[in-house]
Amino acid sequence: MAEPLIATPAPGRGGALVTVLRSPSLRLVGRRLLLAVPIVLGVSILTFLVLSLIPGNAAQLLLGPEATPAQIAALNHQMGLDQPAVLRYLHWLGGALHGDLGKSLVSQQPVADELGSRLGVSGELVGLAFVFSLGAAIPLALLAARRPNKLIDRISMLVSITGLSVANYVFALLLVLLFAVQLTVFPAMGYVPLSQGAGANLQSMFLPSVAVAFPLFCLYTRFLRGDLVDQLQGEDYIVTARAKGIGPWQVLLRHAFRNSSFGLITVVGLNLGTLIGATVIIEQIFALPGIGQLLLQAINTRDYTVVQDCVVVFAIVAVLANLVTDLLYAVLDPRIRYGNG
Amino acid sequence: MAMVDASTVLRTEEPRRGRTWLRHVELAVPVTLLVLVLGGCFLWPVIGAVPAPVGGNVLDSNLPMFSPGHLLGTDPNGNDVWSRILYGGRNSLIVGVSVNLLGLLVGGTLGAVSAFLGGLTDTIIMRVLDVLIAFPSLVLVLAVAQSLGPSQLNTIFALAFFSVPAFARIARAATLSLRERPFMAAAALCGTKTRRMLFRHIAPNIAPQLITFSMLGMGVTIVIEGALSFLGLGIPAPAPSWGNMISEGQQSLSATPMLVVWPCVALFLTVLAFNLLGETLRSRWSDR
Repeated sequence: MAEPLIATPAPGRGGALVTVLRSPSLRLVGRRLLLAVPIVLGVSILTFLVLSLIPGNAAQLLLGPEATPAQIAALNHQMGLDQPAVLRYLHWLGGALHGDLGKSLVSQQPVADELGSRLGVSGELVGLAFVFSLGAAIPLALLAARRPNKLIDRISMLVSITGLSVANYVFALLLVLLFAVQLTVFPAMGYVPLSQGAGANLQSMFLPSVAVAFPLFCLYTRFLRGDLVDQLQGEDYIVTARAKGIGPWQVLLRHAFRNSSFGLITVVGLNLGTLIGATVIIEQIFALPGIGQLLLQAINTRDYTVVQDCVVVFAIVAVLANLVTDLLYAVLDPRIRYGNG
Repeated sequence: MAMVDASTVLRTEEPRRGRTWLRHVELAVPVTLLVLVLGGCFLWPVIGAVPAPVGGNVLDSNLPMFSPGHLLGTDPNGNDVWSRILYGGRNSLIVGVSVNLLGLLVGGTLGAVSAFLGGLTDTIIMRVLDVLIAFPSLVLVLAVAQSLGPSQLNTIFALAFFSVPAFARIARAATLSLRERPFMAAAALCGTKTRRMLFRHIAPNIAPQLITFSMLGMGVTIVIEGALSFLGLGIPAPAPSWGNMISEGQQSLSATPMLVVWPCVALFLTVLAFNLLGETLRSRWSDR
């Protein structure tokens, strides 16, 4: 964990390990990591609490309604569910700290294997969604900010405020209705792994990732356009750049956009944490074997170990996303990189 | 400094000029939409004749639009779609209002008290809320909905779990910046009691921000309530809700797409109205 982080903040700068260790961005990383530990711990404790409060348990659900109390008790004992919650939590925590995420109560398979493959699917979904949303939002926001309150700007703002009011599952169903039912260009559901060809894989992931991307696209367009316009209208360095005779596109791209990108990165970083919620429902609609689907199944079957592991993975992803955001600031902003920002 | 002042003055004046009609439209459109939605859901079934949303005759199933007595036709169970949309909207709106009211009152109080008292109280409250925020909200909602069983009241409790920390964050940030203002120091010097400080000095000043946020929160809550119903964890099936109507309609998407489209339209228009109203309020109150 520590090794790659030491290298990232100041690539090729300083050279000696000492300067790197003293670098402010590394201290920032250290501080953020320390702050993250109690949060992740708190999340895991809270999950455990919530789960132990849910009535009905895995044994009961596995054996069905006709099981005798004795059978349930026996299976409970076998799965270790008859132990007190504190003991079970410590047992899980001990395992997790040693890299053992435990076994699923239902399938008896190690959770880590399952999580690995599913994290790939969800990762691809979220990654594609970011590519689509940023790829569309950045050019549109630049075009809109180039001439504020003119036609393109008005249209882009109308699209984004309307789009932000469309629930992602509604949008997903409309996509299915149009592209899978009416036009039949994309499959309505199912997942084709990357090993069966990149084209088929992309085809199966296209509609779900567009469904995840659309609200993000609206949010980013709106945010970036607003920030760019603020920069262009209010900042002295823009006046300077224009006075030097730099063309409008250059000012927009090299000056305003570079500054606005910080805000955009923050929003993207924060989104990464909340995207998990979007993946649960989108994976459900498109029958994708991702981590959101796993979580929903696990909650339905009271598979505590799996839920616990999923939630902790989500929390770690959210915390890491924040960390990477901070690091990107350091890479992009010289004021932070040199420690006087 | 003078230059900056000039440019900020220019910036605030420019949008006002020649666009007064737009300012009226900005407010009129969402308010009209909301009046229509609220009136439709709560008043229409009382004054106009609308078939019952449940217990339809299977012989009347899947009637097309504009069938006699069924404006938008019927679903596979023979229930009137228009009536289900109106009654479903009631459920969505009740959940939305309750969740945001809970968030506003509980979260707002927590945030304001936390920031006002500061010190250990602040640290403890904010750490607990940090954990709640880092906790994937949908997981919490799913778990609560599962443990308490799907019902309207439980949906409200489940959703309030994450509206409270969000409101608390905003109230806290607003109160912190308020604490530095001269009138707060003046009030403190007069020996104003804590309770009076909170209710008379802080509450009215953070209210605009919280109310704006609750408008946007209404949209989010209605969407998530729909998601919960969609996943079968919200309002249980025979009773209508936009989410479970969409979910039921999805099963016959290719044959009867309109069963999905109508609740989607209702959901969209309601959320749009709240979002537009929130945006308008935000831009007006930040102008001051």
